[in-house]
Amino acid sequence: MEPELTVALPAAGWACAAALRPRPRLALAAGAVFGVGGIVALLLSGPGITSYDLGLPLSVSPVGRALLVVAALALAFIVILAPARAERSTMLAWGLAALAGMAAMAVAPELDIAVMVLLGLVLLQAAALGRRPYASRIRGPLLAIALLGLGLVFARMTGPAALQRLAAVGLVAGLVAAIGALPFVHEFDAEEMTATSPVPWLTFIGPVLAIVVVARGRELMPSAVDVMGALLIAVGLLNMVYGATAAWRVDGGAAAWRYLFMADWGLALCGLGLGVADGLRAALLILFSMLLVRLPLYLWSRQALRENVQNDRPVNLLVAAALAGSAPFAGFPARILLLKGATAMYWPLALVIGPLLLLWIPAGLRLGRTLGTPTGRQLLGVGIALAAGVALGVYPQPLLTLAGL
Amino acid sequence: MTIAAAAAAALGGAILLLSDGRRALALGVGLLGAGLSGLAVDAGHIVGAVALLAGAIVAAVLRLRSGPAGWAVMPAGSTPRLILTIVTSLIALWIAVSVTSGDGTGLRFAVTALLVMLTVRLMLGAEAAAANTAASGIALTLGAGALLANGGAPDAACIVAAAVAAGMPALPRRETHGA
Repeated sequence: MEPELTVALPAAGWACAAALRPRPRLALAAGAVFGVGGIVALLLSGPGITSYDLGLPLSVSPVGRALLVVAALALAFIVILAPARAERSTMLAWGLAALAGMAAMAVAPELDIAVMVLLGLVLLQAAALGRRPYASRIRGPLLAIALLGLGLVFARMTGPAALQRLAAVGLVAGLVAAIGALPFVHEFDAEEMTATSPVPWLTFIGPVLAIVVVARGRELMPSAVDVMGALLIAVGLLNMVYGATAAWRVDGGAAAWRYLFMADWGLALCGLGLGVADGLRAALLILFSMLLVRLPLYLWSRQALRENVQNDRPVNLLVAAALAGSAPFAGFPARILLLKGATAMYWPLALVIGPLLLLWIPAGLRLGRTLGTPTGRQLLGVGIALAAGVALGVYPQPLLTLAGL
Repeated sequence: MTIAAAAAAALGGAILLLSDGRRALALGVGLLGAGLSGLAVDAGHIVGAVALLAGAIVAAVLRLRSGPAGWAVMPAGSTPRLILTIVTSLIALWIAVSVTSGDGTGLRFAVTALLVMLTVRLMLGAEAAAANTAASGIALTLGAGALLANGGAPDAACIVAAAVAAGMPALPRRETHGA
């Protein structure tokens, strides 16, 4: 199966779902058919096999393929068990557009093309109706694209070694700005629709983008791989401290969720920066968990956040445990692998990361309460998300094998 | 040829940074695209050059349809932008000529200067039309930046860049006012 279909089918699904919006059931059915087709094409396309049908060498890496599969599963999960007020066909249309863009970034032969696809996604999101002013919605993502562009330009210039280091700075800064892993890059409005807010960059598009930028960046700047790794670890540590502390202390539940995503990105960036297999495994587990567990939980918490309902029922405590990264949820093996990778690379780093992991406990306890009192379909969704978290935590090997690890 | 193309591209970027009116923005993106296209011809990428020029022309024509009327070049309070334009150009010239080596000096200068100028334009609080035009310029510049690569698919990058740049002003722009 050709990699082109993994882009074309979700894109066709998005176009159908958007065009048929006045007839939501038909839009949902058409989008679902094309979306499922895209997943099947992705599963059938061999990782690493290159297609030249469009005159360009297109191929998807095993890690990119695994992340796309998990993102598609997360989208299906979110749409099937959509929050009560959400319009499923609209959610599916946005999700398929993002999925098509993510697939295009993953199969693109050059980082330049991936960055331009990212620009297309930015513009598509900005064209939607949002609460924030248009210019402020595109400012952060466009800054990210310009930084990535500067990184690419410096990586290709011939000159002193400092240029390669500057390129590494540009790529890491661009990546961090694109996913919004540092505060104040993307403006956040708690009342804004999720699809037009910065949340999809953090939780849905970000994982594939990070893998693409880091992998291609290492190919582009072989002499600055260490610099890139060090920058990723530094930004990761900053995100861990800032994100976890802010998720615990900040006013407003929605903002606290966003900060927890940033803290999780800190773990993932550290894992990516370590440059050892255990670090990559840890980062992938964090990203899988973000897609399958945290993003759905965030969406189901929004209703309770609006109504300011908080609760301490057993299900809230289980959610708190999952968010805090305790066993047997996915965050636990990810943290163990991260510490193992850090010890293998430079053991004092593990001494820094270890105590920081405790910061997730108060943040998790706080955000577990924000889920309110889930009932009916929402309770079923929370149950499935927690079960997925346990499955990832107890036996993550199938997904890691899919990612070639 | 190289110097003229690089100067035209940088001048286009400077106009985008210094102007608010739709006519000036259209002229800026057109000049920028024409300059980058000339640099692509100089680098031997005819397909990429045609794509960049076409993308810039479409973006410029579409920009003329909406945005603040007139030229509004260097409106009141634009002194910091003028200083930034000059400083950015000088630093980009220094990097392209003295710090780096090899062929494509004009392309290195233009791409570095444009990326910084257009990012500054966004950071200084651009109105929607100016932000859109800056985004078109960034897309075209990224496409031209791909020409610095040894191998790869630079023409494909230019075509994608042109499509994004041309589609940018055509996208519907919706926002809630006062929300």
